Amino acid sequence: MAQGNVVVDSKGKRVYGKTKGERVRSGILGVIMNAVLIVFSASCIFPLVWMFYSSLKEKRVFNADIVSLPSDPTLENYRRILSNSDYHLGSSMFNSLRTTALSILMIVLFGYIIGYILARIKFRGNRLIYVVLLMGMLIPIHSLLIPIYVVFSNLNLSDKWFTLIIPYVAFGLPIAVFLVEGFVKSIPVELEEAAAIDGSSFTRTLFSIILPVAKPILVTVGIIQSFACWNEFSFALVLIKSVSLQTVPLAMTQFKGQFASDYPKQMAAMLLTMSPIIILYFTLSKHIIKGMVAGAVKG
Amino acid sequence: MLNSIKPKGRVVFAYLFIPLGIYLFSVFVPLVTAAFYSLFYWKSGPAKTFIGFDNYVSLIKDSVFWLAFRHNIYLVVLCIFGQIGLAFIIVLLINSKLTKLKGLHRTFGFFPSTISAVYIGLIWTMVFDQRRGIINWVISKVQDIPTRELPVWLNDSKLVMTIVAIPLIWQFIGYYMVIILSAIASVDKEIFEVSEIDGASAFQRAIYIVLPLIKNTLIVCVTLCIAGNMKVFDHIFTMTYGGPGYDSIVMALYGYRTSFDNGDMGYGCAISIGIFVTSLAVIGLTNVLANWLSRDKGVA
Repeated sequence: MAQGNVVVDSKGKRVYGKTKGERVRSGILGVIMNAVLIVFSASCIFPLVWMFYSSLKEKRVFNADIVSLPSDPTLENYRRILSNSDYHLGSSMFNSLRTTALSILMIVLFGYIIGYILARIKFRGNRLIYVVLLMGMLIPIHSLLIPIYVVFSNLNLSDKWFTLIIPYVAFGLPIAVFLVEGFVKSIPVELEEAAAIDGSSFTRTLFSIILPVAKPILVTVGIIQSFACWNEFSFALVLIKSVSLQTVPLAMTQFKGQFASDYPKQMAAMLLTMSPIIILYFTLSKHIIKGMVAGAVKG
Repeated sequence: MLNSIKPKGRVVFAYLFIPLGIYLFSVFVPLVTAAFYSLFYWKSGPAKTFIGFDNYVSLIKDSVFWLAFRHNIYLVVLCIFGQIGLAFIIVLLINSKLTKLKGLHRTFGFFPSTISAVYIGLIWTMVFDQRRGIINWVISKVQDIPTRELPVWLNDSKLVMTIVAIPLIWQFIGYYMVIILSAIASVDKEIFEVSEIDGASAFQRAIYIVLPLIKNTLIVCVTLCIAGNMKVFDHIFTMTYGGPGYDSIVMALYGYRTSFDNGDMGYGCAISIGIFVTSLAVIGLTNVLANWLSRDKGVA
């Protein structure tokens, strides 16, 4: 157990500082504590590193020794998965990008509009809408998996390029609205009153006066949802059947089936399709962590 | 008051119409539809026969559904201790004066929670692999066991639920770590300094000072953890598909397998409603418990 840096001297008075014994003890403790943390961090990043250097090995080399560094690194796996259009890696990346980008755009826009209206405009039904959206956050979304499939296929909405945008927007909306609503409430009303006196219409106030002020929270919403949409799997699984419309996680499960025994190839494909997320995360990690925490705690 | 900026009702309606339409269409329409079709016998094909509550009678007697429910609860319990418990310990280590590279641990630790669950499942399938997995590689280095006799981890009926929990726990430790870190960061630093001067040991500080101060955040974490594990699907879909047999089945996956592998849509809808009710009950129950806990402390 750690002793603080407080020592009682011979006269029973507290002195600040450490005896030699204590310094040694806290030194050892420090080494242990740092070691534990390093093991933890390493375990979080190890799979990525392992996948990276293993993807540079040929299957035969990998199977012979799964852990060693590649003695003869090759980009052959990448070349093969990219040159064969049967794997649909390019098209699945494109589908994921399109779905994610459009979903985020709509979530941010709609979330902003609803959040602003709920925060500022009094009308009958304001609280009702609030509660209905709150229920959306309490409802166990996974119970909608089969029901949403039934509804979408009855209405012939499944397996289209825009199919996934509909549930992604719906599921992202509640958290966006709550974050925006909380934020708008903290903006002084005088801003809008001044705008109104100057003759600004509601729409103009909404988009050219408040929008710039609310930008930080909208960025947060965008960050949270970009990961959520890019990574989403279960709804894509039930709603998308065409190989050409697959998103990235869906393509990867197919890939696993095809190449169950070829790990380096799987790893190459995974790294390639993860790369947007990895790059985004490691360039903006501070913002992303902050945004995700805000989303989690307020949601 | 705000009248000067109040727009016409028409304008508000126009702005709300499309987003709320999408929302209601994706969340409430499916629920109502599922409740409706759950009253039918509807198996592969368009033919549906009204059978009243028969599906629900089967559901209540369905041992696999309740097995899946117990598996979900098992994951919840393991993850509350594994994710939040370990996260709390790591937070204490990071906040200590003796440790370095705090920013790095935060960035690396949070990383797994930003990756798709499918990828986590695929990576850990490789880690657990019998012939080419890391775990068995380590075992074979320590002990001299022929490759063929090494354990097939994801095929072990008894252990499989615990084994699939490991990636789940691993993925989100960093997530809870960051939430708890930011909660502690918002507490006045003087409290810690004063307690340190008063001679509280690190352990005492953790239990008597840090823990009560971040209690509300911990309750949020537990709620998130419960909601997250009631809906677990992707990880298990990729790692075991609920197998061997039904040994690692969870509720959402059971609904999926019933509907798509057996083509039993009517019963699949009933299962969905069952998932809805049980998950809501578990989440509601914890909320009541959490409220009761925080009120109790508030009086004391």
